[in-house]
Amino acid sequence: MRRYVMLLGLLLVFPLTASGDYREEFEQGFLTKTWSGQQPEENFCIECHSSDKMKPEFLTLAEEWKASWHAQNGIACHDCHGGDPKDSSMSMSPHRGFVGKPSPAEVPEFCGKCHIGILKNYLESGNGKALRSTGKGPHCEVCHGSHNVQRANIDIINEQRCTKCHSYERAKVMKQALFLVEKKAGEIEDGIKALRRAGVYPEEQERSLFNTQAEFRTLFHTVDVNLVNERTDEFTRKLGAIEKDIQGTFIELRSQKNFSAFLMALFSIMGGVLFLIIRTPDK
Amino acid sequence: MNGVTKRIRNWLEVRVGLDELLRSNLTDYRVPSNINLFHTLGAVAVVGYLIQVITGICLLIYYIPHADHAFRSVQEIMTRVPYGWLFRQMHVVGSNLLIAAVFVHMVTIFLMGNYKRPRELTWISGGLLMVITLCFGFSGYLLPWTQLSYWATTVATSIPTAFPVVGDFVSRLLRGGSSVTGITLTRFFAVHVSLLPPLFVFLMVVHIALIRRIGLSATPFGRSDEEKRPLTEFRKKLHPDGYPYYPYLLQKQALMGILYFVVMFLVISFAPTFFFPEEATVPADAFKTPESIRPEWYFLAPYQMLKIIPNKFLGISLQIILLAVFIFWPFLDTHKEKNIFKRPVLRGVFIVVMIAMVILMWWGRR
Ligand code: HEC
Ligand code: HEC
Ligand code: HEC
Ligand code: HEC
Ligand code: HEC
Ligand code: HEM
Repeated sequence: MRRYVMLLGLLLVFPLTASGDYREEFEQGFLTKTWSGQQPEENFCIECHSSDKMKPEFLTLAEEWKASWHAQNGIACHDCHGGDPKDSSMSMSPHRGFVGKPSPAEVPEFCGKCHIGILKNYLESGNGKALRSTGKGPHCEVCHGSHNVQRANIDIINEQRCTKCHSYERAKVMKQALFLVEKKAGEIEDGIKALRRAGVYPEEQERSLFNTQAEFRTLFHTVDVNLVNERTDEFTRKLGAIEKDIQGTFIELRSQKNFSAFLMALFSIMGGVLFLIIRTPDK
Repeated sequence: MNGVTKRIRNWLEVRVGLDELLRSNLTDYRVPSNINLFHTLGAVAVVGYLIQVITGICLLIYYIPHADHAFRSVQEIMTRVPYGWLFRQMHVVGSNLLIAAVFVHMVTIFLMGNYKRPRELTWISGGLLMVITLCFGFSGYLLPWTQLSYWATTVATSIPTAFPVVGDFVSRLLRGGSSVTGITLTRFFAVHVSLLPPLFVFLMVVHIALIRRIGLSATPFGRSDEEKRPLTEFRKKLHPDGYPYYPYLLQKQALMGILYFVVMFLVISFAPTFFFPEEATVPADAFKTPESIRPEWYFLAPYQMLKIIPNKFLGISLQIILLAVFIFWPFLDTHKEKNIFKRPVLRGVFIVVMIAMVILMWWGRR
């Protein structure tokens, strides 16, 4: 018997000496790849613009972009500038939709391709009208940058930036008007993170927060303090509803814990009683 | 005893011979007098499996095996379905506990040498039960369709491609295509709920029938008459001087079964996210590889072993051989000595294997 089993083992060992023509996918996909991070796609814009062929003053742009919120959301060079990232020689050809670099006055429309609601409010605002009429108003880039665009928050409004063209007075009032709602939104964001850590998928809460926040921030771009103040109540109420929802989920989690602990106690008592009545057989 | 139960009893007695049935299975069935707690682990595994079946059926009522709905349906089980969270937690925690229990069961059987003749078939059926339990875990892992489950399955189903000729085919068969998709999900679902359970029940019946037929092993340590006699005829191992199964061993089994529940609810109450890392609450996204992918803890050792062996074909062949060695172990180890303390080489091998497993698991964890 034993001999047959060993023979079988030998038979299994035999193919070891052969060289396997196993799949590349495995070698590359399983071995060399660490399975972490997004797989970089080939993109000639980035490749060429970060090579030594590039003018030194342009060289940092690609790096800046890589760190941006746009990059993390899959918005690349060609999404803003047009062109074809897959074709190195024709990439910056107008035939491939390349629009080049926007002039300051063009920037709002340039960004507004995607941020439509904000563009509308911006154009109607004092800042927007000033840009239109005198070219003196701030465009999107002044406040958000062009390549290193990060998630927005009210700290964008600061003395350094807002006193370039006028006094800080109005900017300060604006910031105060935003503060209440933004603070509450920040708290809710922390609550959502905590929910995630507790193993809950906070899809609905996340979506309502995102929508409410986007709506409020779109409103901000009117830079109309009265309008913001007028609608602060409405936004606080909306955020309050989300907050309540999150709290409700935590209460639910706690009651689940209690119920499960109760079951545990029940079984512990059952075990304890059984342990006491267990008879050891007498010889 | 009141009248009704007596009448029911009598009704059954005259038809199926209830008294004799109970007597032969409970009181006349004798077990060795020095039986220990490790002998209850098999019963614990049966309890664990029953929990999986019951909670699994409850989940099945609300679960939708479709790539577009699986994640949402599982979230709804957790948040909307009354006590859905409890059933899901019991199923998930239970699956891990079950594997741990089965594993300890196996190791103690090994240490006590109970796999030796005439119990080779019992060991083999047990080994296959272990494999099927692992398959349950593997197929079930994909079902909630989270980032974690999606990518762990992607990695795991790419492993067979290291095998020449058939590897590609096996991988495609598992996935139902070149990558993990909704087709894979329905496949794994079918395997998880309709192929594995009957297989499992069948093997479990064989396993237990063999144990009853052959009789429990005698004293774990020290030689008994079983090894001495030449194996020329079937002789059931009776323990005339042992204890009746009922109530002595049954009590212990019940106690351990209860302990299993206690541990389960302990985890659910105080570490509810123990088996749900962050990626387990994010829906599967084929275009976003998460930061870290790793399989369930019970696959970490083989996973890490595959990773560190440079030649993948060698690695996978080695694992198949190890699996074969494990399943057919009673035929390889025909030494008559049951007591592992009198076999330094085997003891050494055992310790090295255990340490290697722990190291590989730890290593694969990161
Ligand atoms: C083969 C190299 C190469 C590739 C590929 C390439 N660029 Fe350029 N790009 C350049 C150079 C060189 C300049 C600087 C031209 C100059 O001197 O003003 C430039 C300038 C630019 C400018 C500034 C134009 C202006 O009006 O000042 C933009 C915007 C730009 N590139 C975007 C892109 C985008 C978007 C892509 C991909 C679709 C791309 N580039 C691909 C080499 C490249
Ligand atoms: C969010 C939209 C956006 C993205 C994405 C973007 N750019 Fe730009 N880019 C702009 C805007 C707006 C300007 C004009 C303002 C300025 O000069 O900063 C500009 C200007 C430029 C210029 C000219 C800079 C100068 O000083 O004349 C270059 C070169 C350029 N971009 C290259 C790139 C490359 C390469 C990428 C991809 C790595 C990229 N851009 C991604 C919006 C974008
Ligand atoms: C191709 C479409 C597109 C263009 C053009 C574009 N963006 Fe964006 N932007 C996005 C997307 C997508 C996001 C990420 C979704 C989100 O967070 O709202 C985003 C996010 C942002 C954010 C962060 C929002 C947050 O959640 O805090 C800012 C700020 C921003 N963009 C500013 C700009 C500016 C300034 C420009 C012009 C230089 C611009 N965007 C051009 C698509 C675009
Ligand atoms: C590039 C110059 C410039 C910068 C930088 C700038 N502004 Fe302005 N702002 C203007 C001009 C021009 C006007 C319109 C003329 C006016 O009302 O004084 C204006 C108007 C305003 C108004 C009044 C709008 C109205 O309808 O009455 C507010 C509020 C405002 N800015 C806030 C800010 C804030 C907040 C910042 C900093 C994030 C800022 N501004 C930065 C140029 C600038
Ligand atoms: C005067 C400075 C200023 C200008 C000009 C400006 N923004 Fe903003 N933007 C802000 C501030 C401040 C916030 C954050 C408001 C808050 O936190 O409530 C913001 C928020 C945003 C957001 C985030 C909205 C969200 O959903 O979270 C986007 C996107 C955005 N701006 C795009 C633009 C675009 C596009 C333009 C040009 C059309 C522009 N901004 C012009 C200051 C400005
Ligand atoms: C007849 C028996 C069983 C049925 C009907 C069943 C059914 C199900 C269903 C419907 C799911 C998906 C719901 C969910 O993900 O929570 C699931 C998941 C799962 N099952 Fe089972 N199951 C059975 C037995 C087992 C056994 C014996 C194991 C033992 C290891 C097991 C391990 C798992 C695992 C690990 C998951 C994934 C859990 C998760 O991450 O959510 N199942 N099962």
